[in-house]
Amino acid sequence: MSKLISELAAICGPEYVSDKLVDRVCHTRDCGPSPGGLPTVIVRPRTTEQVCAIVRLANRERTPIFVWGRSSTFIGHGIREGCILLALDLMNRIEKVDFANQTVTVQTGAIWHAVDVELGKRGWELHVPGSGGMFVCTVGGSVAYNSVPHGLAEYGMTGEGVVALEVVLPYGEVIYTGSAANRASADLGFERYANGPDLAGLFIGSCGVFGIITKVTYRIRQRPEAERFAFYGFDSVDTAVDAAQALQRRQVPTHLVQVFGGQKPLGVEGQAFLHLIIRDSRAAADERLAAGHSICAAFNGVRLDEKATERYWVNHMYSWLRNTPPEVYYSDRPYTCPEASAFIPTQRVKDAIRYLLNYEVEHAEEFARYGIRIKCYDVYYSRNAAFLWIDTLYPELDLEAWQYGLKMRADYSEYLWSHYGSPGGILAPLAPHIMPKLGAGYELMKMLKRTLDPNNILNPGILGLGDPSPGPSPDRGGEREEVGR
Amino acid sequence: MSGERRAIDALRDVIYQCNRCAHCFDLSWLGPDFREKCPAYRWGKFESYTGRGRFFLARALVDGQIEYDADIAARVFACTECRGCAEHCFKYLSTTDIYAAMKEDLARLGLVPANMAAGLSDEGGLGEYHNVYQAPHDERLAWLPDASRVDRPAEVVFFVGCTSAYARQNMALDTYDVLEKAGINFTVLSDEWCCGHPYLAAGMTARAVETIEHTLALVRQLGARQMVFNCPGCQRAFRDDYIKLTGRPAPVQAIQVVELLADRLQRGELRMERYRPKTTVTYHDPCVLGRWMGIYEAPRALLKAIPGINLVEMPRNRRDSYCCGAGGMIRWDFAEMAALAGADRIAEAVATGAEILLSACPACVMQLQQARQKARSRLKVMDITELLAAQIRPVRVAG
Repeated sequence: MSKLISELAAICGPEYVSDKLVDRVCHTRDCGPSPGGLPTVIVRPRTTEQVCAIVRLANRERTPIFVWGRSSTFIGHGIREGCILLALDLMNRIEKVDFANQTVTVQTGAIWHAVDVELGKRGWELHVPGSGGMFVCTVGGSVAYNSVPHGLAEYGMTGEGVVALEVVLPYGEVIYTGSAANRASADLGFERYANGPDLAGLFIGSCGVFGIITKVTYRIRQRPEAERFAFYGFDSVDTAVDAAQALQRRQVPTHLVQVFGGQKPLGVEGQAFLHLIIRDSRAAADERLAAGHSICAAFNGVRLDEKATERYWVNHMYSWLRNTPPEVYYSDRPYTCPEASAFIPTQRVKDAIRYLLNYEVEHAEEFARYGIRIKCYDVYYSRNAAFLWIDTLYPELDLEAWQYGLKMRADYSEYLWSHYGSPGGILAPLAPHIMPKLGAGYELMKMLKRTLDPNNILNPGILGLGDPSPGPSPDRGGEREEVGR
Repeated sequence: MSGERRAIDALRDVIYQCNRCAHCFDLSWLGPDFREKCPAYRWGKFESYTGRGRFFLARALVDGQIEYDADIAARVFACTECRGCAEHCFKYLSTTDIYAAMKEDLARLGLVPANMAAGLSDEGGLGEYHNVYQAPHDERLAWLPDASRVDRPAEVVFFVGCTSAYARQNMALDTYDVLEKAGINFTVLSDEWCCGHPYLAAGMTARAVETIEHTLALVRQLGARQMVFNCPGCQRAFRDDYIKLTGRPAPVQAIQVVELLADRLQRGELRMERYRPKTTVTYHDPCVLGRWMGIYEAPRALLKAIPGINLVEMPRNRRDSYCCGAGGMIRWDFAEMAALAGADRIAEAVATGAEILLSACPACVMQLQQARQKARSRLKVMDITELLAAQIRPVRVAG
């Protein structure tokens, strides 16, 4: 056993450390298409103190750390060859529910929906009801990537619910943000914007490059009394966008999804569709729903059976956006889905959609040759703008199709981010498409990374910060990885 | 395995479908009981013990990045075959097909864990004794109350199974009893062998087929058209595994005793005597009966029909049921893991407030009885046939 392994075992206990190949192979990639390298060791700490000790050890040994929650992102993280893989899944306790201050404090590895279920037993919920990732996404991971959640139109981004964070910095010190920073009230995370600058903001969306989030204090609310649903079809994409923006301006939706590409919803007519979810008191929800109906009708929307919308919302199953049962929608050939996405300003939503539809037409021959399919182009409307996401599917067994699929993602990302904005959590394979466009902002991030993490220990390469990204991926040359494609 | 095609290679297409979502081992959004729903992961701690982990391993194998070894064998054979991963797979993949292929390859490579290999050996194991308890073959029917039942022409064969025949003979008697009360014309086989299920758990598919066909030949000779089981593992061998392995359906209907009784009950041919005193029971879904064969409601229908019996469910029931730890023959080589799963399940049953924990599988009952004993719980653990044998009454039709 090497010195590194034995010291990790001394920190966490030998049963929580493995350098066996059989374990390391299972931590080489997330749900995304790009493979990563093989970690040197897997370690599963249970306390913040253990995380601190591991980080200090990693600094001493100059061995990078890769942080692993449930690894459910679709982007393709790129695990660094030879890293210490820090699996935070055992740090999953709900530490405190503070109804007075309307917050919950959880360890980083707690599963988002699991926390929501526990709060639900008391009639409460997290500030955003679904963080937008897979069912197993962790609270720490969702905050670190600032995922785009369900309820975006009313509740905002995942990061907006953060009140305070406990973070282990790249040199092994622990800090607390917001009101929790003042140790006089450390056990009461009640205000994010207390005690100076918003340090939480540095870690939200930074994908673990500036620090490891070990604890999150998050806003909670009493579950709204009522939920209302509506589903409309429109005869053109542009009309659906107009209707959606009218709904936005009137602050009708809690969550508003536009479906305009990929498989058409089953059994309905139309070129584009809106799913409208409203949550409020009974009276207010009914009033907002009436406004929603009247706006959609004004744009000649055809009212459809809102059961599909309700099923999507209640079961968190995206297939229902297309009125399709999950077993039909998800059970398929070995297709993989490298997501691309962007924030779009209101006045450019139609242009962005047009670009996507044109791309499909212009590349029809390649789509046919490589078996590419569009699973969906969908828009989540925010309070004031839009978040567009693209799921292109390619047959993963076919190397050429796989490479073409990733080229498509690169094309989409390059176009969208040249005109609009990238999401918060960018990750290694996509960073080259956005970071250079950020100019002095990118330089500042690099400077912060060098300052906070001079040994380049935490998630190096992610966000294009620190060392170059771990290992080749098709986005940069298409070489095959040592383990897995 | 140089030059020999591996079973896993034929499944590359399925292996590549896994999207690594982790639903196979983490359903914690359903509640805290669902966080570690894979018994192997709960015990083994690392993801290599999970469905997602085994798919990682399978993919690395088919892509030529790793080779089978004892560590991989430990991850694959630690699987209790509970099929909880398949039940919740986001892509609806039959995860157990991947594990079965890996087991088949591992068996060919001689990487079956030591105790399992010994238990199935032709010298001093299943191959010699035709049962998993290394008990004399000629004592298989020692429990039988009436020798005239043996090898007589009948519509129905009661396939006793090793555990009922040797380790829990009361279950053989109870099943015999309920079949008599239900008015079934049945026989038992003098030369009944193990059903072959343990060979499948070890990846020894050819031996499994050979064993199943031994029984089928006997059944054919007697002209029976139906086989009745009290063990879901045995039933599955004849109902589902044989056709999967050979492409040919077994020439006989394989039915679980609870299915048969529930059907008779529904048709009004049976009634239930009141159970005294009024008692609360809970029911453990055997993985093979439930998730593998989809039989969830027949045992519940029988229990609900007994006046005086109050059935309460454990939080994890039906498709979400938690494995008792007896599946996949893991008790041979992973006894500690099996004990942990059993203890978890007993604790869950105790928390319901039930006085009796029922199941419908000899392996589950035996495992849960041992777990109850270790936990020093006052919970009574019994097979559903024991309760039914006491409560079932035939309905006499006048004329």
